[in-house]
Amino acid sequence: MRSPTTIIVSRRTTGSRRVAAAIVLVLCTVLVAAAQERTAATLPPSDLGRAQAAFQAGRHTEALAAARRAADAAPTSVRALTARAGMAEFMGEFDEARAFYDRAAALAPDDAEVLYRTASFAVRVGDYDRALAQLDRLLALHPRHVRWLFQWAPTNMQPTLLRDNPSLEHIVQIKIDILMEKGDLAQARYLARAYSIVKTGENYCAHANEKSRSGAAREEVFTAFRLATLGQPDAADCIWWYGQWLADEGYVRLGRLMVIEGTRVTPAAGNKESGARYLRIRLGGKREVGKRAEQLFLIARQRYLRDGDIDGAVRLFDESIRLAPTFARPYIYRAIIASDLGDREGALTWLQRGLKADPDSWRTHRNLGKLFAELERYPEAEMHLRKTVQLFGDDAGGRLALARVLYAQGKYDDFAKEARTAVAFLANFKAPVPEVRDFLAKFDRWGPGAALPPAPDPDVIIGWNYD
Amino acid sequence: MTDRIGIALLLGTILALAPDPSAAETYRWVDGQGNVTYSDRPPQSQDARTPAPETRPASALPAPMVTPASAAMPGPTAMPVPAAMPAPEARPMPEAKPAPELKAREVTAPEVKAPPAKVPQAKASVPPLAAARTSPTKVDELLELSGLKAQLVGLLSRIAGELRPAPGQMSTSDQASVDRVLGQGLRHEAVYALVRDAFRLQVDRPNLEATATWLRSPVARKIVALEVASSEPGTEPQVATYAASLKASPPAARRVELLQRLDWVTGAHETSADIVAAISRGVSTAVSAAGQPEQRLRPGQIEDRAAQVRARVNEGLREVRMTSMLYTYRSLGDEELMEYVLFSGSDAGRWYNAAMRKALVSALGKAVEQTSAELVRTVPLERWARAAMSAPPPVK
Repeated sequence: MRSPTTIIVSRRTTGSRRVAAAIVLVLCTVLVAAAQERTAATLPPSDLGRAQAAFQAGRHTEALAAARRAADAAPTSVRALTARAGMAEFMGEFDEARAFYDRAAALAPDDAEVLYRTASFAVRVGDYDRALAQLDRLLALHPRHVRWLFQWAPTNMQPTLLRDNPSLEHIVQIKIDILMEKGDLAQARYLARAYSIVKTGENYCAHANEKSRSGAAREEVFTAFRLATLGQPDAADCIWWYGQWLADEGYVRLGRLMVIEGTRVTPAAGNKESGARYLRIRLGGKREVGKRAEQLFLIARQRYLRDGDIDGAVRLFDESIRLAPTFARPYIYRAIIASDLGDREGALTWLQRGLKADPDSWRTHRNLGKLFAELERYPEAEMHLRKTVQLFGDDAGGRLALARVLYAQGKYDDFAKEARTAVAFLANFKAPVPEVRDFLAKFDRWGPGAALPPAPDPDVIIGWNYD
Repeated sequence: MTDRIGIALLLGTILALAPDPSAAETYRWVDGQGNVTYSDRPPQSQDARTPAPETRPASALPAPMVTPASAAMPGPTAMPVPAAMPAPEARPMPEAKPAPELKAREVTAPEVKAPPAKVPQAKASVPPLAAARTSPTKVDELLELSGLKAQLVGLLSRIAGELRPAPGQMSTSDQASVDRVLGQGLRHEAVYALVRDAFRLQVDRPNLEATATWLRSPVARKIVALEVASSEPGTEPQVATYAASLKASPPAARRVELLQRLDWVTGAHETSADIVAAISRGVSTAVSAAGQPEQRLRPGQIEDRAAQVRARVNEGLREVRMTSMLYTYRSLGDEELMEYVLFSGSDAGRWYNAAMRKALVSALGKAVEQTSAELVRTVPLERWARAAMSAPPPVK
């Protein structure tokens, strides 16, 4: 079977494709039903049920424990093994996930669900070749004529085929993702056009902007910008925006590639400069992060913030740091956790380690400056906050924090200058920070007061706030 | 010349600390010049080209999945995954919130109105004027001149009142235990000692002497006497009456300006907010430590709560403080008030206010934490919870 990444769509047409598609749909349904029946015979319902219930209730650690018991109790149950693997993957226990996916695959090599999950897991950890191999095997489970249609039917027939065979659309979409993550945007776009995921002549970028303006669900907006990236190679703004979103969410690898692409295609020198700066201060410059390390970071963050699972999060953050020692974000979260536990010195140490790993990390300087300020170590705070606004001049919150630190040291002229700059910047964004204005007015009128100036962190730069 | 707390604002702020979720979305785009720009609302103009939702997600919003494409995918139908189990690419991961909701059950302390405190009362009087002297001023002398001890009486009485359950909500024996603990833990002598110890750490001899000189001046004596008088327990009705009278005869603009300036140079308003935050921190720490291990708050969570309380109280205090200052200094002339402002803005005044602020915040936080810990040791949390549940709903 040819590699899925090199699928060439023929321009030939055939008749009665709708009939064929319907037949395929029935066959697929039967196939899946049979697989489920086969596995259901050995299900240990109690622990699996408990795992499901716990997961749905958001008790993820408990869900994993129950899934482990279920798999231990029924080592030949494909469903139990897959459930354990899925929960382990969800919790960032990737070695365990891999082991149990493998066990499930050994028991049911042609199980569509197992193949699909295994492929998805492989993408998560950056094992793209394995993912593609699994997708090939998944495709091979489909009847010959479906495969034939999938590979050779003209583009205008593909929407119907994919609609009638959602598994085929999964295959296409995952392949597109793999291509994008590997940096082969041209091939990803080709595939998207070949399967009519995007169509020539559509203004996806305008559509995405419209969705955003109209307050559509985030997921819809996100999808719309992805389509713009695939369907409009010249839509630099949308590509750039898509990259920023990905980076905000923690998908730094793909985000980085998209920001690079948006920067490349934008005709504006200012945008090119902005993109280059973004890469340097937000995405580690030339320091690339492995996919596994990125995903461990993402999941660790969830385990900490969503589940309150500090021990689990710490382990995953540390593993992420071990795999990608120049990736700044896990250091930042280790510092946040240390601070959360009341260990501010520990937090300082983590941030300083993070700076050694990535000296241009805007976020690390910012956090370090604020932490020093909290500790009333103002000269050190000033140094890092100055660097913060030097790296990113539009960081009004960082500038207000700097202004406060300057005030605390009696550098009143510098304070006023920085505070006024921030206030003027924020006024452009309908973020008037009245408390700062009020403070400045009193300062102008009466000279320095006893209390330190307020240093709000306006939401206007919130997209930068969650590295 | 210590600051008085806006005690009325304590109730419902120290213990009712649920954060206000921010639902606002933030948008960001690249403008025509290529600058990354931001707004808290969707772009309205042609310049706003690439709006972005905020990074901090709404709680119900799933994050992108392992593969961004998958985020856009409908649920598989031909190749389903078991209905209730997490598919590996499933997106049950709402994006992390920087300020997560607490997982632990909210630890509630009694949130009840209380009768006047029964802490031992010291006579709230004007400190005696020290004789003219040549030897260095001691910290105790300075604090005596400042009227701190007398003002602590009123302040601690109010704090005790906030911590005491209303009559009938606890058994007689529990109520008696609470009164005993409050009486012991919030003794003004003990808290004064804490303040003094914290103040000593910040002594700057020239500034201390300059402050003492000011405090011995006739104007300062008058001011201290007024502050002590208005800090005495039971003055609230008089302040309320005075506040009501302001509607009919509002203060002169110059008076208001002077008091605003006084607040500015002393930082009194900020000190009040800091004290409220310290009390919140102390109560949260003690009550959390008495709870089940899995329900305990982490230090960072306690700090977050204290910061939230501070922010909430800060604005509310503004008006209360102005009324309170108008009342306290009502018999003081503008020129006298101006003298106070000038001293407070001097190096010595700035040092004194900063040192007093730190000392007060530290001492009151410590005293409240220790007292709260003793309260929940003496009367278990369950009984506090029952007492709180039996409290009548707050009057709206």
